[in-house]
Amino acid sequence: MTTIHHRYAGMCALVALLGLAACASEKTPAVADVAVSRQAVANATSAGAADLAPAEMQSAREKLMRANQALAAKDYRTAQDLANQASADAQLAQSKAGSTKATMAADELQQSIRALREELNRTNATSQQ
Amino acid sequence: MKTRSLKTLRLVPAALALAVMAACSTTPTTTSLLDQTRADFLAAQSTPSVAANAPLEFKAASDALDSANAAAARKESLSEIDKLAYIAKQKIATAQEVAKQKQAESEVANAGRQRDEIRLEQRTAEANQAKSQANQAKADADAARAQADAAANSARSEAARNAALQQELADLQAKQTDRGIVITLNDVLFNVDRAELSAEGMRTVQKMADVLLQEPQSAVLIEGFTDSTGSADHNLQLSQRRAESVRNALIGLGVKSDKIATRGYGEAFPVASNADAGSRQLNRRVEIVLSQNGAPIANRH
Repeated sequence: MTTIHHRYAGMCALVALLGLAACASEKTPAVADVAVSRQAVANATSAGAADLAPAEMQSAREKLMRANQALAAKDYRTAQDLANQASADAQLAQSKAGSTKATMAADELQQSIRALREELNRTNATSQQ
Repeated sequence: MKTRSLKTLRLVPAALALAVMAACSTTPTTTSLLDQTRADFLAAQSTPSVAANAPLEFKAASDALDSANAAAARKESLSEIDKLAYIAKQKIATAQEVAKQKQAESEVANAGRQRDEIRLEQRTAEANQAKSQANQAKADADAARAQADAAANSARSEAARNAALQQELADLQAKQTDRGIVITLNDVLFNVDRAELSAEGMRTVQKMADVLLQEPQSAVLIEGFTDSTGSADHNLQLSQRRAESVRNALIGLGVKSDKIATRGYGEAFPVASNADAGSRQLNRRVEIVLSQNGAPIANRH
């Protein structure tokens, strides 16, 4: 009887340990992913994405916040999913900001080239007179 | 009987499995988000600049879509498929944006080069303009100098001509008067009581003609005078003939006839008393009045 009881207790302990191990194996990547997404949001912010890609930026911030809440509630699956989505949103926001800035620079340069070319044409026109 | 029922029991799960497989093959699991993501991926794939300019991002997007497709193939829950599809969709968009950025950056680099070229062209054009302006200025200066030289030359030749003219007039004993330059041909140049010029008279008239030919704008008035000996009528005619004789001589030497006017005054306007032979000789004379620059000659009165 005692042997059977001991055997049951041992099995319970094993199950509990496995459960804890499962919990621990879910917690580490979730924490890492949330950290990654926090960094992604910070990078996008410093790239000016708040102004240049406000919708993606808003989405990334909101998901990061919810990921943090899930982490606090030990809902690691949700935390990880939200963190991954927040990262994707932040990266998109950052790349949008980058492409917008580069496009504006290119447009500005084209504008100045047009002005220079007009000036050149004027110079040539006057020197031919 | 027993074997038969066992056989039937064995067949039922197989049929069920077949039915499930059939259902699986006719309705593959997908979501509208996954469909949308696949379309986005195809669009990115057919944009050459995405693979060229954002290879890493495109690979990441491709891997993310593979994960979503695998989840759909494994018939995972729709929310699980959507989660993966969402990530893939965002990554595809990111690849597009990165490609766009790289393209704009290469445009910037290109435009920078273009701008430098135009600036160089501009400087070249300005330099050419400055050079052509300098050349023009030099040409202008050269022309001005040439003009000044020509003016100086013509002034010199004018001065030389004037000097020669003055010399000739001096040789003719010309006198500057209110009416113009007056040259007196005295009696010695005519034979006595005749209108024809002596050889000496012809030489003097020749000099006169030289002056008139050099001064095309000049005109002359030839005035004849006599002494008081003889009748007034005869003297008037003689003075007239002598003036005409000088005129004809000048015309014979090439002076235009319309520039020569003649007048006979007879014994009027004596320059000496007529009391002795010397004085009378002074009165027998022809005076040539030379107007310069076409000014009219005032009449004697």
